[in-house]
Amino acid sequence: MIRRPSSTVGFALIASALLGAPRESMAHDPASPTAAPEAQRRQVHAVFNDFSLTDQAGRPFRFQTLRGKVVLLTFLYTTCSDVCPLLTANMRALQQSLTARERQDVYFVSVTTDPEVDTPSVLKSYADRYKVDFSDWSFLTGDQRSLEPVWKMFGVKVERVARGLINHTTLTALIDSKGVMRLVYLDAAPDPKRMLADVRGLLGQQ
Amino acid sequence: MPRREMQVLIRKAYLLTLFAFLFIGCVSNERMDRLYAQRCIGCHGLTGKGDGPTAAFLPATVPDFRETVQRRSVTQIRNIITKGKGMMPAYGPALSGREIQDMVLMVRFLSQLDRSPKWWERFEPLVWAHCTVPWEVVLGYDDPPEEDKR
Repeated sequence: MIRRPSSTVGFALIASALLGAPRESMAHDPASPTAAPEAQRRQVHAVFNDFSLTDQAGRPFRFQTLRGKVVLLTFLYTTCSDVCPLLTANMRALQQSLTARERQDVYFVSVTTDPEVDTPSVLKSYADRYKVDFSDWSFLTGDQRSLEPVWKMFGVKVERVARGLINHTTLTALIDSKGVMRLVYLDAAPDPKRMLADVRGLLGQQ
Repeated sequence: MPRREMQVLIRKAYLLTLFAFLFIGCVSNERMDRLYAQRCIGCHGLTGKGDGPTAAFLPATVPDFRETVQRRSVTQIRNIITKGKGMMPAYGPALSGREIQDMVLMVRFLSQLDRSPKWWERFEPLVWAHCTVPWEVVLGYDDPPEEDKR
């Protein structure tokens, strides 16, 4: 019998991957580079518990419903002025690079690290400014109590500095169609071409 | 102190403040500098030219907002800061009215730096109006006229 790794094991794997990285980037951390010279791309194998948050339209969103799709998930907040615009712009570029056929099997998720400011309507306005197509991309928020376990599960550290100013780990996760996290990108500006190749690699394995 | 002397002193202080405001124009303070460093400098750079460390990695050009003094009204600048534009964050949901006002003032303050006498001859009245008079009373200029003429 093959045992599926538990979420705790998954977390340990992510933690070890993060610890193995030279240094995780933090948004708004003055010591962290705007973009790492080398991509901090790590292979992992972690399964997550389901979680439920609220999307940009105010609808409940369950992570479990994405089973069967390759998911690119990132953490950001809308008043971030350094790393997050790069992450969203790169994911937008990636969304545009996929073919119509590929987009049926891929989903993008952006989870806020600032529930105090990022209400569904604020997230909607943010995504609109990037001309995001919501057919395969959700921006998620919730209250602090429902977001904290999600941040923890993905190994994302979140520190509130002031209203609308958050230090957080920059992490983008690539999750396969079975809900297993396979890759993490820890740099501030992961290369969209590299991510596209990784997404296509996982699509090919389906 | 006799009442008359007190009145003269108050009048002198008032005139001195007015004089200082008119001749100094926009000035920054520590609060504005901190706000600019935390929220703007990454993209807009030290002087507002759009050459901050993050700007080079963005798939869009960060405009030189020092030129906005002749192209955008105060209302338009405040709207951009509050509601965001393109990749620029919307600070309205996060910052107080006073902090937004500080950001508008900072744009004006940076617009004045390193200008030639020719620039001053042309735009001095506008800079004074924006920096020394409450926005609400700059009638006829605070309404957004035409968008970007260039």
